[in-house]
Parts: sequence; structure tokens; C-alpha cells
Amino acid sequence: MRRVAVIGIGQTKHGKRNDVNYPELVYEAVKRALEHADITIGDVDAIVTGSMPAPMEGTNDPQLWLTDALGGYLKPLMRIATCGSTGISLAHSAYYHVASGLFDVVMAAGMEKMYENDPQGTMTTVAEPFYQRIFTAGAPGIFAQQCNAYIHRYDIPKEKLREAAAEVSVRNHLDALENPYAHIRVKITVEDVLSSPVISYPVRFLDLCPISDGSCAVIFASEDFVRKAKIDRVAWVRGLSYAGDEHNFGDKDLVNWESAIKAARETYRMAGIENPIKEIDVAEIYNPFTYQEILYYELFGFCKPGEGYKLVLEGAVTKDGEIACDPSGGVLCTNPIGASGLIRVAEAALQIMGEASNQVDSCETALAHAMGGVNQFNGLMILGR
Amino acid sequence: MDVGIVGVQISSHNEVFGKTVRDAIYECTRGLLQKLGIDKNDVDTVVTASSDYYQGISCSNSYYFEAAASYLKDATKVEGNSIHAFMYALMRVLSGHFGTALVLSVTKASEIPQISELTYISSDPFYQRPVGICDVTAAALQATKYIKEKRAKEEDFAEVCVKNLKNAFYNEKAYRKMLIKVEDVLNSPYVATPIREYECPAHCDGVVALLIARRERIKEICNGYIEPAWVAGAGWGSDPYFLGDRDLIKSGGLRKASEMAFKMAKIENPVKEVDVAEISDTFAHQELLWFENIFSESGVDAIRSGLTTIDGDLPANPSGGSLATNPPMAAGLLRVAEAALQVMNAAGAHQVADAEVALAHQTYGNAGQHHAVVVLRR
Repeated sequence: MRRVAVIGIGQTKHGKRNDVNYPELVYEAVKRALEHADITIGDVDAIVTGSMPAPMEGTNDPQLWLTDALGGYLKPLMRIATCGSTGISLAHSAYYHVASGLFDVVMAAGMEKMYENDPQGTMTTVAEPFYQRIFTAGAPGIFAQQCNAYIHRYDIPKEKLREAAAEVSVRNHLDALENPYAHIRVKITVEDVLSSPVISYPVRFLDLCPISDGSCAVIFASEDFVRKAKIDRVAWVRGLSYAGDEHNFGDKDLVNWESAIKAARETYRMAGIENPIKEIDVAEIYNPFTYQEILYYELFGFCKPGEGYKLVLEGAVTKDGEIACDPSGGVLCTNPIGASGLIRVAEAALQIMGEASNQVDSCETALAHAMGGVNQFNGLMILGR
Repeated sequence: MDVGIVGVQISSHNEVFGKTVRDAIYECTRGLLQKLGIDKNDVDTVVTASSDYYQGISCSNSYYFEAAASYLKDATKVEGNSIHAFMYALMRVLSGHFGTALVLSVTKASEIPQISELTYISSDPFYQRPVGICDVTAAALQATKYIKEKRAKEEDFAEVCVKNLKNAFYNEKAYRKMLIKVEDVLNSPYVATPIREYECPAHCDGVVALLIARRERIKEICNGYIEPAWVAGAGWGSDPYFLGDRDLIKSGGLRKASEMAFKMAKIENPVKEVDVAEISDTFAHQELLWFENIFSESGVDAIRSGLTTIDGDLPANPSGGSLATNPPMAAGLLRVAEAALQVMNAAGAHQVADAEVALAHQTYGNAGQHHAVVVLRR
């Protein structure tokens, strides 16, 4: 099978971007990706783009409007949309564009301009309209349900989990201070997290991600192109997989979360990984909520079920620990949703390339992940030297 | 390319109308699997095409995920031109990672606002929306230019309506079937000059599903009794967004898509080598316009000479096209499905004789911005 690599990435300064309109925001990321890869738009054979549901910005089929800013003039261009997991679906699509043999250089670009409209309202319209929409209160309610189920399933000591979640928040926020592109860049303490207002029990304000405007572009290329263009710093795609489970709340098991477990298992199989916590150096996990990041450690096989909080309290998931989780500050500090999943891939690629702003020493293998729908989709990608 | 379409399932408006999107998709998918004698474990990956605004449900595939045989599968969703879902599924199979792919698209026009309202809000809020650009008004500007530059007449557009609505009589899955005359069209009210009521798409409900597979898997799962429609070529391309930046009648994006598809299919003289074409006739004049861009032959001459009638040498839209049946987003995949049926000799009453090479085309976006072309071969 054809080998595919990331050859360049670009992202905007994420945050509240009233200085640009949607196409201008996207152009910023695309231009930077081309510069980073040291290629021109003429070298790009195809483009794949995506964002959250169009109601998020209030313009239908935004890929039409954004065609020019993406450099899509005359080019094959398609839109992929899988809610929060859009970013990883974009990375996968670009990978398959190249792996198919039809194209040599393909750019994936994700974007969001969340200050344009009503994010929680938009997300509520994901829920099935007859029975579930009435119970949905945007994202925080859903994640609180999952967290409560998690605590009860494994009888996790609540104070310990809360403390671990607070440490996860502190770690991500401190790491974001090292990331010039991150949105939320504040210094906080565990006490700040534990005393912040409850949004939906037990999730508190500082356990949550922000809404952000932002865009990210990642350029994938074939082995042939890498060789011919003599590109010497790349991140090879070693494995990828994706899975989705049930839509209806009542049908789901969000603790023994099958789509996450299956997608991880299949990605590891492709990448030849047997002991993830030992073999992976950096994990850019999709972490809009602190508790969910901890659950993901278990689902991805870093530790036993119910013991995620121990990894945190032992310092295992810091830069100095066994596996550096979200050294970019994660989704927790930067969340332009359509780009968030792709930013994970971009940051993982930068770590492999040795160019991340919060670089981990000798990163050989990095994991990127994103989640989508109302806790329905999970996709992963592993990059390596 | 050793990838072929092994099965096609089309759910007509009447089959979909009284059902939820979920139930309609389930029935179409199950029908396809049963027809092929396989079960969902034989489906390695799924690529669906649906639109959140065109469904009233954000992250639309989330809602119908399990109904589309996708539970715990690596499944994804395309928005926009549903032929892109076909392209993406093709790439997934070509990569070697997947042996079979289910491609599916759905739209229920009956459950959503007027399509022109939804295309109106695809106009950017600063320049085109305040002027009232939507699918109909953009098409009207384009048709006006086509008349001026190609000396087309309103009669030519009316002929396309007469042809396609009559073709629809021979398609049991078609929605709008009518026996009309050119005068009937020319006497119908203008919707936006020079576009008349009959010349607008027949928006309806529909689900389209098809299964593609690698050659080795086809042998396995179909026990050799299915003649697939082999994918000979595929191409897609884009035009600029703003109408003022485009040549509304000469589409660079469509030229690019066609060239890519014909090159892959090793077709050098398209008008001679293609036997039947399912072309995006979302508005009547567009069948002629896109024909011209794809085949580099006059669209006006094609309709006047009878080249594109059901008895002509290159029938266009024997299914009746979008003028007869337009589930807005699923229409693209419907073009591919109809082209496949032709090549597989399974188009029933609207089968074109000796259809060895079929072309499917869809455009998406006001006045046609994103184009995709597929060439299938027996």
C-alpha cells in the first residue's frame, strides 16, 4: 500500500476573530500550510474541507463560498462533515485521496467561525427530533451524563476523580501558554478549577472547552512526491481507523465506549502498536471536557478501566511522564470545532517533525484523535518518523 | 481500474415519502443487500451523502448511522455533490484498505423548506445574498447568457423538458412524468426569466444506494453471476464561488473533471465513444450547457438534431433526469446509479440498447460550481 506523509501544516491564531470574515480566516491557515510545506498552491492536486453543520455559521454549503480561499480554483474539492470528528475525517479523507493513487498532494482544511451564530443551539439540532432533542441542552449536558455514568460504573472515588480532572485542566491550560496559536491562554490552579461554577454537574466551567474561531490546514503527500521534492522532514501515517456507534441515548454505553475502543484497536493494529503507553510518545486526544480525556486513557488502553485518574495523579500523562497528553493545550483551550480534530493531527505531526511549540523530547510516535456527534464517532491516526 | 458497481437500489418518492429518513434508508439498504444476497458484514466501509440543512438534522449521518449498515464501521459523510461520496468510496477501495464500499445518499424534499430558500442561504451574506442569488436566479442569469452567446432559443430548453418528462414514463422510479409539447412549456409562467416552471427541477424524496467492490471481492460475494459496471474514469473540479468571477457558460471546473475522467477511461472521442449520458439537468438549459462542456460539441445542435433523444446516438437522461426526479442532494448519486443500470443492462423500460459506456455527471452550487463526472464501462 502506498505510503503517505504529512509534509506541512498551518493554523490561524484561534480565538474571537472579528478581524476577518470566514474566507479570510481560512486563507490564513492555507497560506501558512503551503509555506510550511514549501510548496505552492499549484502543487496541490486536490482539496478536502469540512466544518460543523452549516447552521453554525448560518451559510449553507460553506465549501462553495470557501472554494477560492482554499485555493480550490479548478481543483477537485469535496466537503466532509462528521460533526466534532470532522477534523480527523478530513485527515483520513486526504490520506485516502493519496493512498488511492489518484493524487500525490492533497490538502485537508478544517474551519469554524463560532462567534457568527448560536453554537449550543446548532449542536442541539444534532439530536433526533422526536424523542431526544427535548432533553438536549447542548454539549455540557451530554458530557455530564457520560461522566456520571463513568463514576458509577467503576465506583470511582469522586474526590480523586475531581482532583484528577482539575489537574488535567491545569496541565492543558499551562501547556496552552506555550502555544502561540491557542485561544485560552490563562494561568490557573487546581483550586480555581474546583471552585469554578458548575455548568452541568459534575462538570465545572474550567472543565470545559471554549468556543473559538479558527482554521487549520494539513498537507498530505505520497512517498513519490516526498522523494522527488526532496522533503526531509515529514510525519508518516502509520495507522488510522474510525468507528461510529448508536445515535439514540438509551442505546449507548458511553463508558465501555465501543467505537472508541474499536477505532483505537484497529489503528494500533495497522501501526504495529501493542503497548500504547510505552510505544506512543505524544497523544493529542480530543478533550473538550477534562473527565472525557481521562476516560479516553482507558479506552485507548493506556491503563485499566476505572484507573484513568491514577495516571493523572501519578504524573504519567505529562511531558515528563510516560505519555505526553495534549501538549498543545488540546481542545480544552482551543475549539474551532471543524478544525479541532485536524489541529490534533497537525500538532501530532509537528511533534514528529520536532517543530512543536511545546516540543516533547524525541517524539517518534504520535497519536491524534477526534470525537464527533453526540458521543457517537471516534477516529484516530498515528504518525511516526 | 479494477473496481465495479455490483448493485444499485433506488427508492422512489412514493417509497420514501411516508417514512422517516431512518426507515427509508434502512429499507433501501436492506433491499440492496438482499438483492445481492449478502449481509452487512460484507460491507467494509460506508460513505453517505446528505446535507444537514436539507434534512433539518445537524450531523445528518449521525441520525441514520445504524440504518445505513454503519454500526461500528469506518463510515463517513460527504456534504454537497453526492457524486463526491462515490468518488471517496472509490478512493477508499482503490487504496487497498477496503474491499467493498456502500455508497448512499438521501434527501426528503417534502420535509424541508423550499429548496430555493436553502440555496439562497448558500449565498454569502455580504454580496450575493442581498442581491437575491439562489439556485433559480443564478440559473436564470446563466440561461440568459447562454441564449445570447450560443444563440439558443427558449424552444431548445422546452425540448429538453418534453424529452425528459416523456423519458420518465419509462422509469418506474421517476417522480414527474408528463406528456407535454413545447407550447405547453412556453405558455407556462416564468419563474425567473427566461426560466419557466417546467424547466425547474422536480424536487422530491429519494434514497439511492449502491455497492462498489474490488474485482477479487466481486468474485467472492457475487458468485460470478453479476456483471458489474466497471468504473473506467472519475474526475471532479471546481469553479470560483462568485458569479462575477466565473464564465457562466464555459465551466473550467467541468472541463477539468471531464478531462480527468476521460483520460483515466482512455476515451479520446467522447461523443463517439460514450453510449449514454446522465447529465445534471437541474434546470433544462443546463442539460445543453453541461453537454457542451463535457463533450465539446454544441448542446443546442445536440437537442435540435435529436442526438440526445432516447433514439439518438447519445441519449441524455433516459431516466428523465432531475427535471423528472430531483431529491436535491441525492440527485448526483442517482445519476451514477442510472448510468450503472444502463451498463448492467438493468434499466428496464428505459434501457438504451448496447450501452457499453455510460457517463454520469452532477453539478452542485448556484449556476453549477462544483462538478463531478464518472465513466462506467461494461
